[in-house]
Amino acid sequence: MTSRPAPGGGARFALIALAIGFLALFLLLPLVAVFAEALAKGFGAYAAAIAEPDALAAIRLTLLVAAMAVPLNIVFGIAAAWAIAKFDFRGKAILTSFIDLPFSVSPVVAGLIYVLLFGAQGWFGPWLRAHDIQIIFAVPGIVLATVFVTFPFVARELIPLMSEQGRDDEEAALSLGASGFQTFRRVTLPNIRWGLLYGVLLCNARAMGEFGAVSVVSGHLRGQTNTMPLHVEILYNEYNFVAAFAVASLLALLALVTLILKSIVEWRFDHQRGGAGH
Amino acid sequence: MITVHGLSKRFGAFPALKGIDLEVRDGEFLALLGPSGSGKTTLLRIIAGLEFPDAGRVEFNGEDVTGLKVADRKVGFVFQHYALFRHMTVADNVAFGLSVRRRGQRPPKAQIRARAEELLDLVQLGGLGHRYPAQLSGGQRQRVALARALAVEPQLLLLDEPFGALDAKVRKDLRRWLRQLHARMGLTSIFVTHDQEEALELADRVVVMDRGAIEQVGTPEAIYMGPESAFVSDFVGESNSLPVTVTGGRAHLFDRPIDVALNGAADGAGRLDFRPHDVSVCDEQAGCLPLLVTGVYRRGGEWRVEGEVAGIDRTIEIDVSAAHSAPEIGTRLGLRIERARLFQTGEQP
Repeated sequence: MTSRPAPGGGARFALIALAIGFLALFLLLPLVAVFAEALAKGFGAYAAAIAEPDALAAIRLTLLVAAMAVPLNIVFGIAAAWAIAKFDFRGKAILTSFIDLPFSVSPVVAGLIYVLLFGAQGWFGPWLRAHDIQIIFAVPGIVLATVFVTFPFVARELIPLMSEQGRDDEEAALSLGASGFQTFRRVTLPNIRWGLLYGVLLCNARAMGEFGAVSVVSGHLRGQTNTMPLHVEILYNEYNFVAAFAVASLLALLALVTLILKSIVEWRFDHQRGGAGH
Repeated sequence: MITVHGLSKRFGAFPALKGIDLEVRDGEFLALLGPSGSGKTTLLRIIAGLEFPDAGRVEFNGEDVTGLKVADRKVGFVFQHYALFRHMTVADNVAFGLSVRRRGQRPPKAQIRARAEELLDLVQLGGLGHRYPAQLSGGQRQRVALARALAVEPQLLLLDEPFGALDAKVRKDLRRWLRQLHARMGLTSIFVTHDQEEALELADRVVVMDRGAIEQVGTPEAIYMGPESAFVSDFVGESNSLPVTVTGGRAHLFDRPIDVALNGAADGAGRLDFRPHDVSVCDEQAGCLPLLVTGVYRRGGEWRVEGEVAGIDRTIEIDVSAAHSAPEIGTRLGLRIERARLFQTGEQP
């Protein structure tokens, strides 16, 4: 036997207890606290806090932003991953590191970049004002900031997958007479579907939960440019804890749903890969 | 007939092909044989239209197809790693080429299905159409890939290391089967391989390539019996080589004459190559080469004898009929080289 002996009963119990205790303290307890605090004054108060017009507006805006940012990043992400994984070109390494930029830069900086570009004092500010287009402190700015922050999720997920799959399948389809679009729809897309779904889930979770970048460009106009995370902060600063935690509980719920879906997708993904025999 | 004129291709600074000229006859089974980096796969991919040359022309039956994309060339391409569509059943894989045709040219669904079944029967996989590629063995997958390529009725079949990913036993069976299939269908086919045994067994003609150029083209027999360059002699079949000097039409190893016909070679330094079976044993006398036996083992009906010739650091391998008793290790054997080829080298022996 070369493997180390398993730790004795006592040590093993201690390790497991430590891990569970840590998880409970830092993950489970806060989650429970969110729901407990939200329901502290009963279900009626909880429902009222969510049905309140400003809260509904924040939910609506969050869904709208995600509905715009996620599809954009699906298109950009697939295009970038396709280019990087399947072709060799000059500047490929630079493009690859640029994709990671949103992960390496603070979201606040990301927001400030857009203020700098599109704000009243920004580079395009005068032109935008002359044409009566508002980007900063309005929905377009929030969408832009969200797109920036969530850009890497889909691309990051697809690049290693598409590189590993190589170009053979696409070349086989082309040699059989398929057009470029047919090849994409019938060969490439099915090959990456689970990885893509996984990336989309993560992208969506971040798009709905993003605070920093959105906070800078939003202007915090209640009922107009407040997303859910911003709305939670405002309510909390007003000591309106039940309402704050009620809205926060929706975000927590989103996280839980994302986690469950993610586990299902991961399981399918592994299954498919394992089954392919590579 | 497929014709290739002056084909050149670089990948960055690396010259993959350096001015290739080649003719492929109708109905022939042609092997592109060479070590990795010899340009054989690049040549195959350019003929397919998966890669485009920097210079030169590709013609199918006199028609210039150099600029045509793979989809417009009517070629079947079989990949080393099968490249089957893993999310489709075997039958859907085979039917793919027909099902992506434009509306006017696409056969009705029932006809496509019937054609796929027919092709699966042809590759001896009838009844497995409902399976997925992951549920098949390597040899079965490669036959599906072949059926899929044949479904579009190509005028040319191209196979890139078709047996490369298979284990030895399956490879041998599939090889024999593919040769029979080719004999039956008569479809012009080109396959790439680095395995000389595979090329010699399967092909009507073999194209030996090295470093982006063609070294020799010929029947397997001609290539094996008459290698025209030192590279072909080394690469195809087993061969021994001795550094010799030619003076007065005779080869000399360290001033000792070797008694073998050279067909009028010019004087100078050279390399004398001979196959292990092109020798006979004789007494150690004038004209016979002394060989110190260092190893003996049985290979079929012969003894494979490994030995050393004084002053040469390469092991010499020869075949001795097993009708004799096995030579003892440490003894000396006299060799007469019955047939050899001389390649001139610049170096001094």
